[in-house]
Order: sequence, then structure tokens, then C-alpha cells
Amino acid sequence: MSDSSRHVLVHADDVTKTFSTPAGDVQAVRGVTLSVRRGETVGVVGESGSGKSTLARLIMGLQPCTSGRVLFDDQDLSTVKGGDLRRLRRRMQMVFQNPFGSLLPHYSAVANVIEPLRLHGIGSKSSRRARAIELLDTVGVSEHFADLYPTQFSGGQQQRIAIARTLALEPELLVCDEPTSSLDVSIQAQILALLAELQQRLGLSCVFISHNLAVVQRLADRVAVMSHGKVVEEGPTAQIFDAPQDPYTQQLLSAVLPVTA
Amino acid sequence: MTLTQRAEPHDPPESDALLSVRELHTEFLREQAEPLRVVDGVSFDVERGKALAIVGESGSGKSVTVRSVLRLLPRTARTPSGEAWFHGRDLLSLSQREMRRIRGRNIGMVFQNAAEAMNPTLTLERQLTEHLLWHGICGKSEARERAVRALGDVGIPEPERRIRVYPFQLSGGMRQRAMIAMAMVTEPALLIADEPTTAVDVTVQRQILDLLVGLKDRGTGVIMITHDLGVARYFCDQAVVMYAGRVVEQAPTSELLDTPRHPYTKGLLGSSVEVGGQERPLLPIPGSPPDLAHRPAGCAFHPRCAQAESPRCQEEQELISIGDERAAACWKAETGR
Ligand SMILES: Nc1ncnc2c1ncn2[C@@H]1O[C@H](COP(=O)(O)OP(=O)(O)OP(=O)(O)O)[C@@H](O)[C@H]1O
Ligand SMILES: Nc1ncnc2c1ncn2[C@@H]1O[C@H](COP(=O)(O)OP(=O)(O)OP(=O)(O)O)[C@@H](O)[C@H]1O
Ligand code: SF4
Ligand SMILES: [Mg+2]
Ligand SMILES: [Mg+2]
Repeated sequence: MSDSSRHVLVHADDVTKTFSTPAGDVQAVRGVTLSVRRGETVGVVGESGSGKSTLARLIMGLQPCTSGRVLFDDQDLSTVKGGDLRRLRRRMQMVFQNPFGSLLPHYSAVANVIEPLRLHGIGSKSSRRARAIELLDTVGVSEHFADLYPTQFSGGQQQRIAIARTLALEPELLVCDEPTSSLDVSIQAQILALLAELQQRLGLSCVFISHNLAVVQRLADRVAVMSHGKVVEEGPTAQIFDAPQDPYTQQLLSAVLPVTA
Repeated sequence: MTLTQRAEPHDPPESDALLSVRELHTEFLREQAEPLRVVDGVSFDVERGKALAIVGESGSGKSVTVRSVLRLLPRTARTPSGEAWFHGRDLLSLSQREMRRIRGRNIGMVFQNAAEAMNPTLTLERQLTEHLLWHGICGKSEARERAVRALGDVGIPEPERRIRVYPFQLSGGMRQRAMIAMAMVTEPALLIADEPTTAVDVTVQRQILDLLVGLKDRGTGVIMITHDLGVARYFCDQAVVMYAGRVVEQAPTSELLDTPRHPYTKGLLGSSVEVGGQERPLLPIPGSPPDLAHRPAGCAFHPRCAQAESPRCQEEQELISIGDERAAACWKAETGR
């Protein structure tokens, strides 16, 4: 094994996913190979419907691959069962576009963060609460607001709480599917700063899916560009943005709408 | 200002705008507390064949503003006060029954929340033909034809096949495009789109915007709520910036973004990320939007404003004109600093 591959945390190996629909079979992901090394952020950009979210679910083991396999820390997700799978699942977490949908509406902010700890039987009742308050503090939600319900927070605050919830189990991998696209620019700026800081402080590995190329350019170490279920180009962020090789990547970059004249 | 029932029958404003909103106020009822005012005296015009951007932070009242005009507020909201003139009628004084004849037919809507617009148990065909059939605009086979065409127009591949699927079988971006197709299929005079392109890639975004440009060229007026200032610059002729339920700046979009006058607008630009701008440090606006139940006295932005050193900032700020087409609610805006 080469030196760099030894640090790979998750590796999708020629994965394929086919769905059956009334309109016929859809090949959502068609032979994608992608690695995420420890501490690295891989940006995934590309066409709507190109299979990014599906790939994310395959990487998370939330859906089985039609063919190919996903290795997490060298373990094939499809062969891990029961308690082992649960323990493995703890190490990877997902952040979705819609923060509200990933929070329990009838639980307070702090109860939302406690819930995964409780489910996994971590700590005592009081230590769980203390830990949850600490996590909320990490993402910038003051203890003062910990007992409010999700609807009483803004979208950005909800996304912070959702991130605190995913951090509760101390994951090594965070898969973010459009985590800021429903947020306004000022909250987006705050969440970006938060994610960058968490990476630094916790050494998180991250898969970051977004249509916002500027956000990806800021956060990602490497970028994979998807089109029609395939990765058409992959490389270091600067290379993808400064010297895109694939025609689709070039087309994507040229469609960006500038804010400043 | 107090919220009173509107007085006697009233006349439309003199402007020949497609939609004229005047002094819109919307309040939500709360238990054991005063009603919460979330839209506080908003006025704007939408011209035929032009697009108006509404921008502003989360919670600033953008969605509630357009929902007030559409009369699609939850039961906990009071009937909005003010005026909203459309085709010579004040939408705020119509009955829900009359509104149902206008919504979906003369005014198309793309909602921020896909779950609300799409019924998960119905195929796209049922949903796209619904307005056409319900309003009796055409018969079943023509409705289907128009639905397929609309899906193709928004860039959904193989529309004849896709029209048979259910919403969950589409990717996020396709679902969003299907919603846009649904809003356009009746060829409304006014299209209201709340964050219509957040879930699509930039090439599809461009395609959708160009399609909407085509609608504008044929005279459709558009209100677009967006967080993406690049989208606003590309598509929207005019822009209003909302903060805490009020309009704090309005201007032609390019002028607004080139020379923002209100400190809040400047803050929004400072928080924006841009391709190629990765070296520029992000300057998020400090703090968070005000709790509307405890609106800061005077200029509502003052607790977060870097330029709030004068006692004048403690006073209410009215929109003041700066030149012909611009206005800002900050006493400093006049000087352009
Ligand atoms: N549960 C499902 N059943 C059937 N088809 C599906 C299902 N989930 C996804 N698909 C299809 O798989 C393809 C890829 O979808 P996916 O959601 O992965 O795309 P995406 O790249 O995330 O798109 P977007 O950027 O629009 O979110 C699409 O054609 C979609 O319609
Ligand atoms: N059903 C409701 N009951 C009570 N308050 C509400 C309700 N809907 C909205 N509000 C409040 O009205 C204010 C304006 O909300 P609105 O949805 O218009 O914001 P927005 O500008 O569209 O934000 P975003 O960018 O997040 O969509 C917020 O403070 C919100 O909490
Ligand atoms: S009035 Fe004062 S506080 Fe308000 S925006 Fe202007 S300078 Fe800032
Ligand atoms: Mg997706
Ligand atoms: Mg909204």
C-alpha cells in the first residue's frame, strides 16, 4: 500500500447505483471511485441529478450499492452487520440541506443533541446534558437558548444545532449535502467559518456537496466534478478552478454569475 | 402607526405597475402576548416585463411579504393591512374564494419549501395539469401536452417519460425545476418565486433564468426572493433589501450592488462568497437578526452596525430618496459613505 493510501478513511470503489422507477431504470451512480483521506475535505460539485446525493448515501451506507463497494477504514460496509455496523455508523455523520428536517421538532435544542448520545447509551443523564451544552457552545449556540425548540431558531441557528447533533458522536467523517444552500449569505459565512474551524480543531474528514462553487473553492482540498452519474474530473481545488480540463467542468465554471461587476 | 381596518372603497394608485404594494403590514397572533409584527410598512412596485429581487437575511420577512400578497398566510396570521393592487383590484380586500381564482392562474408561485408545493402521492402529470384543469383553461389532452412542454422548458430530460414519476423519484434540482414548470404552465401575468434555484447547479440555474428572461420579454412581471446576489444581478432589474420586516434600501439591482448605500446592504455584500475571491476574508455581519418581539429602538440595525456612532441612529429611519430611483433608510446614506 502506498503512503498516501494508508491515510484513506473512506474509499468508494467503482460504485454503481441503479433505481427502478415507473419511467424505467435510472443509473444514478455509474462506476465512481473516490477516496477521502483523514483530515481532508473533498468537494463534490456537478449537475443536478448527476448522483451526488446518491453517492453520499452510498458512502454513508444508507443505501446498498448495486455493484462495487465502500470501504470505511478498510471495512466493507456491506459485510458489517448488527452491533459492529452501529459502531461504524457512529463514526460517520451527515448534514442535510434542510436543517429543520433533521431536527426533532418536539425536542428542545439541547434534547436534540442529547438524543444520539442517549440512543447509543453514552454517559449518564446529567453528563449527556453537560456534553450537549458544550457541543452547542462549540457551534455558537449559547446555553441561554438551549431549551428553546427548533422553530424558535433561525435557519442558520437550526443548521448549527443540526451540526452539533452530528458532532455528538464524535464522527471522523462528516458528509454535508448542500449544508448552506438554504441559508442566507451572512449565516452561510458563519457556517463556513464553523466548518473550517471544526476541521482544524477536530481533524474531521469531510465530503462537501454543493452547487455553490465559491463555497467549495473556499473549503475543499480536492474537488470531484460529477455529470451523468460519473466523476468526469477530479483534482486539487486550485487545479480544478484554474485549469479545468473536462468540458463539463469548463461549462460549469463559465455559468457562475458574478456578484461584483 | 396603528393597524386599523381600511377605510372606504379606495382607488388604485396612479402608477401603471403590474403589482403595487403599499404599506403592507402583517402580524402573527401569539398566546399571552401582543401580536408579532413581521412585515412593517413594506411598499414596492413590480412592472410588467421586469423582475424585482427581494433580498435580506433569514427571518427578515421576505416570504411573509409575498405570502401576504398571495393571501397564503397561516391561520395564526391576521389579515394583512395595506394595499396590493393587481389588475385594478386590491388583493388584500378580496375574499379567499376570489383569490383562489387568481392564484395559480394569473399569479404563479414557486415556493421555498418543495414539500409544500408538491403532493408526494401524485405523479408530476397530475400536479402539472391541476391548475390548467381546475381553472378550466384547457382540456385534458392539451393540459398534458402543455405540462410536458413546460417540463422540457425547465430542462428536465425526457419529459414525456418523467411526467409519470412521483416527486421523491426526482433529484432535488429536478423537483425544483418541476415546481417552476408547475408555476409557469398557466402563463401567469405575475410570477412569484421564492428561492427558485437554490437546489440546481449553475448551468441549470442559468438555463432557468434565461427561460424566465423569455417570460419577462413576453411581459410577465417577476418577484424573486433570493440569497444569491449574483442571481439578483443577472436577472432582476430592481431590488429591495429587507431588514426586520422593513425595506431598508431599494435601487436598480446593479446600482445597489455596485454602490450599496445602507450599511446593512454593504454587510450582505461583505458576507458573499465569490469564485476567485477565496483570498478575500469573509466579513460576516456581526450578531444576528433582531428578535422581532424586541425590536431595537430607532434604526433596527444599530446593534450590528459598524457605523452606528451617532445619536441619530437611535431615531427611527425613514426611507429617504437618493437620486431618482434609489432610497435608503439610513441618515448616512445620503452622503454615500
Ligand atoms: N429513491 C429514488 N428512486 C428513484 N430514482 C432516484 C431515487 N433517488 C434518486 N433517484 C434518481 O437518481 C438520479 C440522481 O439523483 P441524486 O439525488 O443523487 O442527484 P444529485 O446529484 O444529488 O442532484 P441534485 O443536485 O439535484 O440534488 C436522478 O435521476 C434521480 O431522479
Ligand atoms: N407561522 C408563523 N408564525 C409565527 N411567526 C412566523 C410564522 N412564519 C414566519 N414567522 C416569523 O416571521 C418572520 C419572517 O419570516 P419569513 O419566513 O418571511 O422570513 P424570510 O425572510 O423569508 O427568511 P428565509 O430567508 O429564512 O426564508 C420570522 O421572524 C419568522 O419567525
Ligand atoms: S442609521 Fe445608524 S445604525 Fe442605522 S444603518 Fe445608518 S448608520 Fe447604521
Ligand atoms: Mg442532491
Ligand atoms: Mg423565506
